[in-house]
Amino acid sequence: MRRRDFLGGLGLSAAGGALSACNSSGPRGALALLRAIEHKNEGVERALFSTGHRDLVAPNEALTGDAFPRYWVSPQMPMWDPATRGAWKLEVGGAVKRPVSLSVDDLVAMRGTTQRHNHYCVEGWTARAEFTGVRVSELARLVEPAGDVGYVDFRSFDHEYHECWDLDSAMHDQTMVAYATDGHYLNAAQGAPARVHSPIKLGYKNTKYLTQVLFLPARTGGYWSDKGYEWYGGV
Amino acid sequence: MTAPEAADSAAVTTSQHRHHWIVRLTHWVNAVAVVVMVGSGLRIFNAYPAFARKGEPFCCYPFDGAIPRQLTFGGWLGGARNWHFAMMWVLALNGLVYLGFIYLHGEWRDLTPRRGDVRDAWEMIRFYLFVRPDHPRQGKHNALQKATYFLLPYLALAAILTGLAIWKPVQLSWLTWVFGGYTWARYWHFVVMSLIVLLSVVHVVMVFAVDPFSLRSMITGGYNEARSPEARNARPFFWRRPRVTTHKETKT
Repeated sequence: MRRRDFLGGLGLSAAGGALSACNSSGPRGALALLRAIEHKNEGVERALFSTGHRDLVAPNEALTGDAFPRYWVSPQMPMWDPATRGAWKLEVGGAVKRPVSLSVDDLVAMRGTTQRHNHYCVEGWTARAEFTGVRVSELARLVEPAGDVGYVDFRSFDHEYHECWDLDSAMHDQTMVAYATDGHYLNAAQGAPARVHSPIKLGYKNTKYLTQVLFLPARTGGYWSDKGYEWYGGV
Repeated sequence: MTAPEAADSAAVTTSQHRHHWIVRLTHWVNAVAVVVMVGSGLRIFNAYPAFARKGEPFCCYPFDGAIPRQLTFGGWLGGARNWHFAMMWVLALNGLVYLGFIYLHGEWRDLTPRRGDVRDAWEMIRFYLFVRPDHPRQGKHNALQKATYFLLPYLALAAILTGLAIWKPVQLSWLTWVFGGYTWARYWHFVVMSLIVLLSVVHVVMVFAVDPFSLRSMITGGYNEARSPEARNARPFFWRRPRVTTHKETKT
């Protein structure tokens, strides 16, 4: 072997090592490129998406129950206090013909759905639960979004937590505003009074402690999406 | 033609062109892509370094705790995911270029199994264990190398398929089902990664321990058959530099 080959090999090894070493997050300049590729990936994911593709939990498969992890981003567990904030209402609005405000009783009175879902967390774990609520498509039928609406922002009273979805995913048959899980109303740790749940998006896209469902012509970001998780976050 | 100029000449230096530039380029692109994919994958794994569904046991992963941070890449879960979902295209497209090239250019013949390969592999093991004194005859690769290089594209395919299965467990639920559901697909993705890492580490160690001259062939393309492991009767860490008294380079 010639010296220059050996040095060349050393250089390549060093480059590989530097790239992987020490928990590095990689070269700064690569971030813009990664953003661009994430955008391309969203195109691929939207092409793969079909309303007919559903997550299935067989009736004999056990639900996760109390082992289902709970989390929020506020310092303390968010709880809606009617004494200071008035009665909780879900505002369904944005670019729509007939915006509405719905109490939990209003939601319960609407045509609802009970489904068993897998919950796919971005961290890699999964859990199973039964959710009862109103499909977002049913809410859309109620308020009639304008023709140019392409996105739905789900906002909460958990600090500034919100996540924005593409309209197709929001209209999926398994995407709902849930007020009950495993046969009882949501408790504060589970995102009461209402939360979004769908198995077709990663867990962080499913806003808990819900206050607003906004149909929008342009996309907004989200709590985790702005921090660097994928905006699309579809499974 | 070259001929020994001295009677005691052990070897004649005849440099031959071994690896086409497309093979060399895709090899090094692949090396970078695999390092980034493994590093970022391990960082993703560390967000939940287990396989069990929440509230359930899992039979087949005895370890507890995270992979050391120094072996991971991406900084945090979101960063690692962004690298993983970007570099996967480099890995897959680069792999397609490589496979397409060796298919069209004929190099696949150096890698496909033939009758006698199992016996040859056994003979290589016997040689490496000092049971057999002389290096078995070989072509471009010895039988153990050949098996590894033949297997790796299939492992890459398995990594891609299990990866798709855990990327899109709902939209590609049929694929996830093939691997036994999300939890098992994630497990198989990890197992396949481990096999690729194992073969890659052995590959790199063997390059330096048996045939460092082959490093040149993967950079410039040139290789001197007079220095091949067969010519040097080389075992891992047990070989001597060939005595070279003439130096003539011929291009083939």
